[in-house]
Amino acid sequence: MAAVIGGIGISHTPSMGLEYDRGTANPDGFSPRWQPWYDGTRRVQELLERLAPDHLVVVYNDHLNHFDLDNYPTLAIGVGARFRQADEGWGPRELPDLEGDTRWGLHLTEELVGREFDLTVSQDLAIDHGVFSWLPYVFRQTGGRAGDRTGGGWPVTVTPIAVNMVRQPLPTANRLRSLGRAIRAGVATFPGDDRVLVIATGGMSHQISGARFGMANEDLDRYFLRNLPGHLDELVSIPVREYMRLGGTEAAELTLWFAMRAALSDRAAAVYTFQTFPAITGCGALVMAEPGALPGTGSGSEAGS
Amino acid sequence: MHTINSVQAGQAAELTAPSFDLDEPGTIEFTAQRALAGRALNRFALSLRSPACRAEFLADEAAYLRRFGLSDEETRLVGERDWTGLLRAGGHLQAVLKLAATVGEDLWSIGAHNAGCDRDTLIAATPRRVSGVPAPAPAPPPDGA
Repeated sequence: MAAVIGGIGISHTPSMGLEYDRGTANPDGFSPRWQPWYDGTRRVQELLERLAPDHLVVVYNDHLNHFDLDNYPTLAIGVGARFRQADEGWGPRELPDLEGDTRWGLHLTEELVGREFDLTVSQDLAIDHGVFSWLPYVFRQTGGRAGDRTGGGWPVTVTPIAVNMVRQPLPTANRLRSLGRAIRAGVATFPGDDRVLVIATGGMSHQISGARFGMANEDLDRYFLRNLPGHLDELVSIPVREYMRLGGTEAAELTLWFAMRAALSDRAAAVYTFQTFPAITGCGALVMAEPGALPGTGSGSEAGS
Repeated sequence: MHTINSVQAGQAAELTAPSFDLDEPGTIEFTAQRALAGRALNRFALSLRSPACRAEFLADEAAYLRRFGLSDEETRLVGERDWTGLLRAGGHLQAVLKLAATVGEDLWSIGAHNAGCDRDTLIAATPRRVSGVPAPAPAPPPDGA
């Protein structure tokens, strides 16, 4: 049977994608503000190559780039062979579409609705920086020549699950923990032996409007990264508005990470954490693996912050 | 829950430290009421996700806005690029950002207007560091990892 072999939590922000494009095209490399992030996430890429997932379930939030306020779903699942890149107002970046796997899309829809998650099914989902801002340096593109960002595709298929972080009321932290558990159960009934990685992306501390624009609470980010692997229930019990008060309104996206943690077993361990604050968004990464999922590793962890 | 607010040196003199509350003007929350009030504004702004619509808007702003049924006040806010006023009137930040992109501005323009300073001041001031965690903190894991 298929199995969840690990999970990643990772931040997203338009600038981490644009700065990556700029830095790879520039002979002088990345800007000093952003260099630590691309250095820190190199280890994530190495670990992902060793985890060798066959499929990704990505829990993310759309930023009014696909959905709009005439119909705003609390939870939506992308089911299709391809997911194109959304135009966020500046035109899309030169990146290949995401590849879906309709067997997985249909299976997870059945399983999640069967577990009373009444998802909106999106058959033509356009994906924004919620995924594309970290994907190009966390997964190596295949098929194209080295350094050619437009060639080829991605090494693994994706089922995206979009969570409302736009319109109040937001789903509760407990609901996202339950979503993670339902994803885990749904993966386990998929025929075959696919290795599935669950990724949650959002946060960390940031606020991008109002007079608090640019607030940066690195102690909150480190607290969250330290406690998520072993103290999920305590973090879920903290009101979402408390994360928003301390870390900025967009820190509410940290609740998406609960779905990732809850999709893993109690025995899963953190193998890498990293955290930095380049500009206006707290940037963090956490890689967790189930026992035996990473060949040649014990349960030791490494921290890169 | 108690918190510590320690703002580090280097913060621009014009900007006070971000406070630990969700009140205006620090935070302009996109409430359900604002979502209702901003229906026309957000429809207009989100139409700018299409390159053809961006070109049409730039060619004749007034004519383009009339199609979306914006009020006189909303039309004025768009014309004056009053980013803070647009958010207060029910524009969602992510929608207003499409307008900024279309007219050659970006998130920093919106942020500076919201914070009441110029772009360079805001850029120099970020990250605007604060410190505080929820209390009481969970106990560390037993293995000390």
